[in-house]
Amino acid sequence: MAPRSIWNGTLAVGEVIIPIKLFSVVQQHRVQFREVRLSDSARIKHQRVNSESGEEVPSAEIRKAYEREDGRQVVLTDDEIAAAYGPRTKVIEIEHFTDAAQIDPIFYERPYMLGAQACGERAYSVLRDALERSGKVGIGRFVLRTREQLVAVAPHGEALRLYTMRFADELVRSADLDLPSMAHEPTAKEIQMAERLIDALAGTWEPESYEDRYRDAVMAVIEQKAAGRTVKAPETKAPQPVPDLLAALTQSVEQRKSRRGGAAPASKAPRKALAKPPAKPSVGSKPKSRTS
Amino acid sequence: MPSTIWTGTISFGLVAVPVRMVSATRDLDIHFHQVDGRTGERVSTRRISELDAEEVPWNEIGRGYDLDGQTVVLTDDELAAAAPERTHMIEIEEFVDSSEIDPAQFDHPYLLLPGSDSEGVTRAYRLLRDAMAKTGRMAIGRVVLRSNEYLAAVHERDDLLSLSTMLYADEIRDASEVDAIPSSDAWAAKRGEITAAVELIKAMTHDFDPSSYEDRDRKRLLEMIESKRTRKGTSTVAKAPEERGAQAAPDLMAALRESLARTRES
Repeated sequence: MAPRSIWNGTLAVGEVIIPIKLFSVVQQHRVQFREVRLSDSARIKHQRVNSESGEEVPSAEIRKAYEREDGRQVVLTDDEIAAAYGPRTKVIEIEHFTDAAQIDPIFYERPYMLGAQACGERAYSVLRDALERSGKVGIGRFVLRTREQLVAVAPHGEALRLYTMRFADELVRSADLDLPSMAHEPTAKEIQMAERLIDALAGTWEPESYEDRYRDAVMAVIEQKAAGRTVKAPETKAPQPVPDLLAALTQSVEQRKSRRGGAAPASKAPRKALAKPPAKPSVGSKPKSRTS
Repeated sequence: MPSTIWTGTISFGLVAVPVRMVSATRDLDIHFHQVDGRTGERVSTRRISELDAEEVPWNEIGRGYDLDGQTVVLTDDELAAAAPERTHMIEIEEFVDSSEIDPAQFDHPYLLLPGSDSEGVTRAYRLLRDAMAKTGRMAIGRVVLRSNEYLAAVHERDDLLSLSTMLYADEIRDASEVDAIPSSDAWAAKRGEITAAVELIKAMTHDFDPSSYEDRDRKRLLEMIESKRTRKGTSTVAKAPEERGAQAAPDLMAALRESLARTRES
């Protein structure tokens, strides 16, 4: 079934107005549980109560409160919060463009996909092709649900993607960290050997080759339990540290070579077919749900 | 100082580097408590049974899953049985070219820090960090966090090892599933339009400076809270600006030229 859009509005680049729709990109397949009482599997409901009296509080009476450093609280209504945020428009206004290569992916928070509304298809296609050709990304802002987001608009195949972005002050700086001295340098020989090991382990990125083993394992546990079998956690073993780095590196490179039957690291030739990804693996009977 | 959320080792080949992991992000959002509007008293959440409205203590709550109409209930210990053995080990499976990875797959960023200040640990850490910086590749492995296994990408960033959890390929929606995406066959853009658009994009391009953007909503909200404290007053309701019509420009070429002219003037 085709997904439904989560937001409709316009994308504005200068005087060019493109009517668009926003779609989610992430569709997590994690196994979703719900809370139940162990004794009789009865479902659990969350009830909001006054913490002093224990009485249930009707949702109409619930307010948000901000606790200040001195412990006093400021109670806010939704209207006041909305007023603080200021006027809201249904426009993604592109403020400027930047080289795609300049954006560290750590700034990308959540991906979305843009579609075109009727009459927007031409302009959408022109923007997508122009971004693709110039290697640029549009930076702008818009309001999703209640919060204003900094966003990047970038081409991805046939589509335009929109990424909400993290602000620079949301990233941890090295100065905030309690780092040990790293004065002990590895030798040039060790680094050289490490690079050889990286080369030996180099592969072409095939995202479909990584499957969510955990999802399958959880389903297996559920089925075991449903069949009335007991379920026990496996023992874990701690990995061993190595005293001699160079020896460990050399041995790793050797092992890797012999595993490949002595062949040069050409066993995985770069595949140019990446632009058109292969058909998605079937998720058939797997639960299309997410954990809380 | 962010807190350590995971300790273990990252291994490549036979080299194991003891590390600890911290989040690479700080939560600067403004958080609210829920209060009872009538009294200002805090609101708390109580878990009650839907059957008899009795309160259910934490240790009597399990995880229910509907399997063919039957509710299967798992305890935390039983769920832990699904977690892979290597809960404290990130084993690098391969090194890939980071430009090949769809950025939509990156989920949450973390930092890997040396697990201790001993010479052996810091040297091994530097070895991996420096070798990765030289090759510029990303290491792919898996990490178990909160009894959930995640795919993870590790690379060198700002003299540290950075780890991002990743979504699986089948968790990323493909453009072909969305009808509203104009196919390039049906909506082939004209050469002149693309050229004009590229010119406009170039005229509007400048360097990406992440620190030049601030979270304006966070700032506005804090200002409002501050003003509400000083003046026990009402906040002024801002006037909505003029809406820009959701009309596509009928003449795309004219709109592109007009935009370019305005960008060059300013």
